[in-house]
Amino acid sequence: MTDDRPHDAPLDPAESLRLIRAQQERARSATEPDGRLLYLAWGVAWLVGYLSLWTSARQGADGQPASWAFAVFGGAIVSAVAFTIVHSVSRTAGTRGVSARTGMLYGWSWMLGFVALAAVLGGLARAGASEEVMSLASNALACVVVGLLYLGGAAAFQDTRLFVLGVWILLVAAVATFAGLPLTYLVMALLGGGGFLVMAGTEHLLRVRRRRLAADAGPTGRGATTEVADA
Amino acid sequence: MPDGGLDPVIHAPARLRVVATLAALGPGDELSFPKLQKLLDMTAGNLSTHLRKLEDAGYVHVTKTHEGRTPATYLRLTGAGRAAFEAYTTALTTLLRGTAS
Repeated sequence: MTDDRPHDAPLDPAESLRLIRAQQERARSATEPDGRLLYLAWGVAWLVGYLSLWTSARQGADGQPASWAFAVFGGAIVSAVAFTIVHSVSRTAGTRGVSARTGMLYGWSWMLGFVALAAVLGGLARAGASEEVMSLASNALACVVVGLLYLGGAAAFQDTRLFVLGVWILLVAAVATFAGLPLTYLVMALLGGGGFLVMAGTEHLLRVRRRRLAADAGPTGRGATTEVADA
Repeated sequence: MPDGGLDPVIHAPARLRVVATLAALGPGDELSFPKLQKLLDMTAGNLSTHLRKLEDAGYVHVTKTHEGRTPATYLRLTGAGRAAFEAYTTALTTLLRGTAS
C-alpha cells in the first residue's frame, strides 16, 4: 500500500487502537438512540404529569383532577412521545438492515398498542364505566401496554435491563390500581416515573464504567461487546 | 512480512476507520454513503477510492439502490471484512503487549 503514503502512513499499535475505539464510539452514538435520554424524558414526563394529577385531585372537591392538571399531563406525555420519535429517527437515519427493521417494527408496536388502548377505553366509557373506573383502567392498561412492550423489546434487543424495567412497570400497574384514586397518581409518579429515572441513572453509570474498562482493553466488533440497542 | 503480518488492506488509517465504523454496526446492518462520509469527515471522492479497495478485497459489500428517484448507496462489512477487522485488532493487541513486556 505504498501508494497511500505519506498521507496515510500506518500508525503505531497503541495509536491505531485508540483511533478504532474513538471511531467506533462515534459510529455507535450516531446510529443508536441514547437510552439514557429516552428514560430521562419519560421519567420527567411521568413525574411531572402524574404529580400534577395527584396534586389537583387532592385539592378538588370530587376527587377528580382539574382540567389544568390533565393539560399538564397531556403536554408532558406528548412532549416525551415527540422527543422519542425525533431522537430515534434522527439517530437511525441512514441505516438499513436488521436493526433498522427491528426498530421500525418495535416503533409500530407502540403505535398500534396505544391506538387499540384508546379504542378499548372508548368502548368502556360507552358501556357506562364510571369516572373512577375510567381513570383506573386508563392508567393500568397504559402501564400494561408499556410493560409488555418493554418485555418484547428486551427479547428483540437482548437487553436484560429493559426486561427488568418491563417487570417493574407491570408491578406498578397492579399497585397503582389497588392504591385507588387519588393515590394511584402518586404511585404512577413516584414508582413509575422514578423507575425511569433510576434506569437513566443506571444506564449512565454503566456507560461510564464501560468506557473506563474499554480504555484498558482492545476494541471489538459489535457482537463481542455488551453494547445493546436501547429502547 | 513487515508490521508483524498486519493486513495491508486495513493498515492504512483511512481504511481502518472505514472498517471500524462499519464493524460497530450489527452484522446485518448497512450504512448509507452520506452518513458514513459524515462519520469519517472524508471527501466523497476520497471515501469512494478507499471503499473500492475494500470492495475489491471482499471486505465491504456495496448496495446501489433507489429511494424514490434518488440513487442511494449502502455499505456493509462482509463476513470476511468482519473477520479481517477482528484479526487486525487482535494482532494490534498482541503487538502492544509484546512492546510493553
